[in-house]
Amino acid sequence: MILGRKVPVVPAGTGLVLALALAAPAVADDAALRTLAGVFMFAALASAWNIIGGFAGYASFGNVVFFGVGGYTVAVLMVHAGWAFWPALPVAVAAGAAYAALVGLPVLRLRGHYFAVATLGVAEGTREVVLNLSHLTGGGAGITMPVLGSRATTSYPGNTAFYYLFLAALVLAVAAASAVSRSRFGYGLRAIHDDEQGAAATGIDTTRVKLAAFALSGALTALVGALFAFQQVTIYPERLFSVEITVLMVAMAVIGGAGTVLGPVIGAAGLQLLAEYLRQRYLNLHLIVFGSLVVAVVVLMPEGVVSFATGAWRERRLGLLDTVRRYRV
Amino acid sequence: MERFAQSTVYGLLQGGLYGLVGVGFSLVWGVTNIVNLAHGALVVAGAYIAWELNATFGLDPLLGMVVAGLVLFGMGYAVQRGLINLVMNAPIFMTLLLTFGLELVVVNGLVSTLTGDYRSIPTGYASRGFAIGEVRVPYGRLVGFGLAVVLTVALAAFVGRTRTGRAIRATGMDRGAARLMGVPVAHVYAVTFGLAAALAGAAGAVIGTVTTFSPAAAGGFTLRSFVVAVLGGLGNMWGALAGGVLLGVVEAWGGQYLSGTLVNAIAFAVLVAVLVVRPSGLLGRPFYEARVEAG
Repeated sequence: MILGRKVPVVPAGTGLVLALALAAPAVADDAALRTLAGVFMFAALASAWNIIGGFAGYASFGNVVFFGVGGYTVAVLMVHAGWAFWPALPVAVAAGAAYAALVGLPVLRLRGHYFAVATLGVAEGTREVVLNLSHLTGGGAGITMPVLGSRATTSYPGNTAFYYLFLAALVLAVAAASAVSRSRFGYGLRAIHDDEQGAAATGIDTTRVKLAAFALSGALTALVGALFAFQQVTIYPERLFSVEITVLMVAMAVIGGAGTVLGPVIGAAGLQLLAEYLRQRYLNLHLIVFGSLVVAVVVLMPEGVVSFATGAWRERRLGLLDTVRRYRV
Repeated sequence: MERFAQSTVYGLLQGGLYGLVGVGFSLVWGVTNIVNLAHGALVVAGAYIAWELNATFGLDPLLGMVVAGLVLFGMGYAVQRGLINLVMNAPIFMTLLLTFGLELVVVNGLVSTLTGDYRSIPTGYASRGFAIGEVRVPYGRLVGFGLAVVLTVALAAFVGRTRTGRAIRATGMDRGAARLMGVPVAHVYAVTFGLAAALAGAAGAVIGTVTTFSPAAAGGFTLRSFVVAVLGGLGNMWGALAGGVLLGVVEAWGGQYLSGTLVNAIAFAVLVAVLVVRPSGLLGRPFYEARVEAG
């Protein structure tokens, strides 16, 4: 289900956007670069969530746990083992994949809301463990990576470098989603989404396929988490394991279009830029406006903006109420 | 030994409140298959209504609780009828997102109108109490526990014995069949959600008299509702009370004997373990397991 399969506009457009993104630091100021880096970060997270939540239809409400695991792996290795950031990064990615496999083994047996709540429980529980292992993680006081002065293991690379790092993470996540979408593995995931027992009956090893999808999602999320931790320098369990990050991933992927390659990216760009705009425009009320918009989009376009737009384009009409009719009691 | 007895009593009394917080959440999840991420926000809203009535009109918090329950019933009914009913057949992330959006609106609405300060509702009896041996029992918490039990019994009786309650259970089991029997499903869902909101509001009012609250507490109430609902079994009202008491006691013991907030990690470990091993709850019967989703 790549967006607009028959239209060669999509690869050309993607290339153009990528070229613009690569050139942007030459013209944009620091604030704009930071905003864009935030967009890339959330787009990568939403794409990673999409692999388990969109393709396989397993609504993980605890994906932030891999974000936190990635960030804390890097921080602990840099602080306690004296590692540089770059060798710690692949370890963080591996840790994300391994933790996903470990957690997924019992939890992926659950479905629907039970899976959502179990993953939420795993994320909250892991945060509490990290909070209480204070000799290792610094606990609630946070942990600061050595990036400045003579004791720095890796010096702080600066704003533009992080812009490119998050862009690279996004390209990697989209490439992964695109590869999954076209592969046998991806069709296996969609089959599980539509009918898990039927998928098993056709010979798909559902446990293995689901675990692989969860591990891939965890690895990509951990990569982004490690970059975010490095960017922040000092990290706290409350921030790195915040439920809100999970909800944003889900909201972006779902509003953009779960199970499509570009949907999560479009959703992330739209929501993140909107949130940023609202934050500046309505200092006190921005979360109320944001929440109301999420409610409105969910009610009016329950299949996501991308799917709504392609449907409207195909049928040449804007049927906002058609989808409402389809999903109401 | 005294510390053990004191923390057990404290945990029991606190646990009753957790049960009251979680019972409506559990009912809604069991009957409508909605995981209401805004549930904690409704608890906080109830606390604010009772606080406001007390601060402005000097209304007793027990009467304030009734008013909070009524107001939230109306709000809950309207929200389910006007919004959530529109996406009942959409994928589950959609309903989760919808309730999360509602949570943002309610919590931040409270913050911007009433600030994020910590408040509590003053009562004449909250600080007084009696002692059994060395164990102190505060009246305020005892009253709160009693209310939790009474309201849970009332809800169980309503759902178990009235015509509306039977419609709620029938809709929870098989929506299509219930509709064919003439049950107005959209109305029944709205009543269910309204009842849950009313109990959340009542719980908030009671909690406001025994401890401090602020809009930031909403997330914690929602998470505890998860634990209570899962421990007790979805839609099982007695189970929710038992699950709440269990959670309260374990938390109190943990606070007494474990370092830091490690007890929370244990609560979540128990949550995940129960989900994986026994998804019908610790004492629940698999009432909604045979649910028919079509229709």
